[in-house]
Amino acid sequence: MAHPITAVRKRHEAPRLAIFNHKGGVGKTTLTINLAFALTELGLRVLLVDSDPQCNLTSYLLSEEKVNELLDHSDEADGATIWSALKPVVDGSGQPIRIPLLSIAGKLLFVPGDIRLSEFESELSTFWGESFQRKVRGFRGTSALSSLVDSLATAHKIDVILYDSGPNIGPLNRAILLDCDYFLVPAACDAFSIRAVKILGHELSKWIADWEVVKKLAPDNLYLLPGLPKPIGYVPQRFKVYGGAPAQAYASWLPRIEKSVRDDLITVLKRLNPELTSSARAPLRLASIKDFGSLALSAQSEGVAIWRSEKATATQAAEAHSDFLKLAKSVLQRINLPLP
Amino acid sequence: MRNALSKRDLALIASIVDRYKSEGHELAKILADGLAGLCFHSSLSPIIHSVRSRVKDPDHLRDKLERKMLTAKAEGKQFAITPDNLFEKVTDLAGIRILHLHTTQFPKINEVLLRLLDLEEYKILEGPIARVWDDEYGDFFQGCGIQTQVNKRLYTSVHYIVGSGERNLRTGEIQVRTLAEELWGEVDHTINYPHKCEVATCQEQIKVLARVTSGATRLVDSIFRAKADAEAELATKHSRTPAKKVKAHSK
Repeated sequence: MAHPITAVRKRHEAPRLAIFNHKGGVGKTTLTINLAFALTELGLRVLLVDSDPQCNLTSYLLSEEKVNELLDHSDEADGATIWSALKPVVDGSGQPIRIPLLSIAGKLLFVPGDIRLSEFESELSTFWGESFQRKVRGFRGTSALSSLVDSLATAHKIDVILYDSGPNIGPLNRAILLDCDYFLVPAACDAFSIRAVKILGHELSKWIADWEVVKKLAPDNLYLLPGLPKPIGYVPQRFKVYGGAPAQAYASWLPRIEKSVRDDLITVLKRLNPELTSSARAPLRLASIKDFGSLALSAQSEGVAIWRSEKATATQAAEAHSDFLKLAKSVLQRINLPLP
Repeated sequence: MRNALSKRDLALIASIVDRYKSEGHELAKILADGLAGLCFHSSLSPIIHSVRSRVKDPDHLRDKLERKMLTAKAEGKQFAITPDNLFEKVTDLAGIRILHLHTTQFPKINEVLLRLLDLEEYKILEGPIARVWDDEYGDFFQGCGIQTQVNKRLYTSVHYIVGSGERNLRTGEIQVRTLAEELWGEVDHTINYPHKCEVATCQEQIKVLARVTSGATRLVDSIFRAKADAEAELATKHSRTPAKKVKAHSK
């Protein structure tokens, strides 16, 4: 039987981290999933939310048959995807409903994505507009996903929440970013990525500033998106590694990315509210993840961490393992979460 | 008038107006939009004529604050408005006016409006209070259970002050009046706001206009009452007529 979640009274303390760049092809899903695996290895209970209607993360973790089965039944009362949980909000019948979480390797719990999440996304535009008319429905709608995640985090004693979001600047990502406590930016070494950071800084400031205004008129006792996403840094992607150091062509991009993240994102947010940048310390680059090439694809088809892929040589496995553990530790430090 | 205010007074007023410009004005717009939005609800829109919303212009706010401060000084009272409590102390930064055709629509409008305000979690801080000058209308509103207040400016209008929430109190004003009353209100506002017109003839004629518009409301009320009475009478007649005959009649 479907159970509507209860309204959030006190937000669950597990920090929420979005891995976000509206530019696609930056290795976002691979980064997210392997970061999640690394965090679970460090002993944390991780909730992974596939909030990208393209469901790349879900396809990574589950077999094709399982994905099809989930998507075929997601619109039904016993559906188990993110859409199944949020459908009542779109139908107008009220609160999201609790869905069973899928468990991967014990401590990694995950909310499967759904292509129909785009229906929720289009409703989110309406909710956003309604919040600007101080409508209760608008406030409830904008925080529906946040409330769902809160309820799941409480029920499953989650330590940290990761959102994998689609590569766009839209209402869904706006709701996710405003829900997050922190976000990190996967960045590719190219001119497009730098341009994207600039747009991200601009858009994000606008979202935060708008939401700050709207919050001031909200009725008492309503759970609202906090609207204070703190950047913790970026992770450059797609290195070709020769002898341990990034190849020359890519290396030349690193200072440019660092500068762009600092000037076009951190500084812009700091101007808006200095509190936003309290977790952004130099170096902003959290880690360098090597390009594991076809190995990343093998790991994906096996649904495991790169270092657990059957195709990985001992050296590759050790390298991947070490890279992602380093990243995980660096993330924990920035989000002020001690190791258990 | 300005001379009576010290540099410090003017600086305080400037700081309040600056805060209003940077933040309050935007909030007032949202609040006014939200309140006006209530009128598009299917339970309210059919029984009203239209809704107008407005937010206070920053320059008009400055004038108002200066007047308030002068009054406070003249009366030896404290001027209690600050940039932080502006939205609490000045209740007409955001406002809507709901216009309707005839007075008998009011009880239903009031009932639906109160329900919608409750649904959207607005707090009623003051009102409804009917400002009246004509005894007949005073009796009507009292009969509906509405508190009345006699006003010497000769207009009829029901006022509510609502708040966005206690944690973050921001106030707005709702007025409900007839379309005929709106004509008086608009003329008076244009002539006397933000500064009172000193032409005696204008003031004289505005008082006459108040009587004319009030008379117009009374006439509209009468037209609708006559129609309603006639329809009620017809309905009673039909209900007394045997079913067969009604059928034949309705053909």
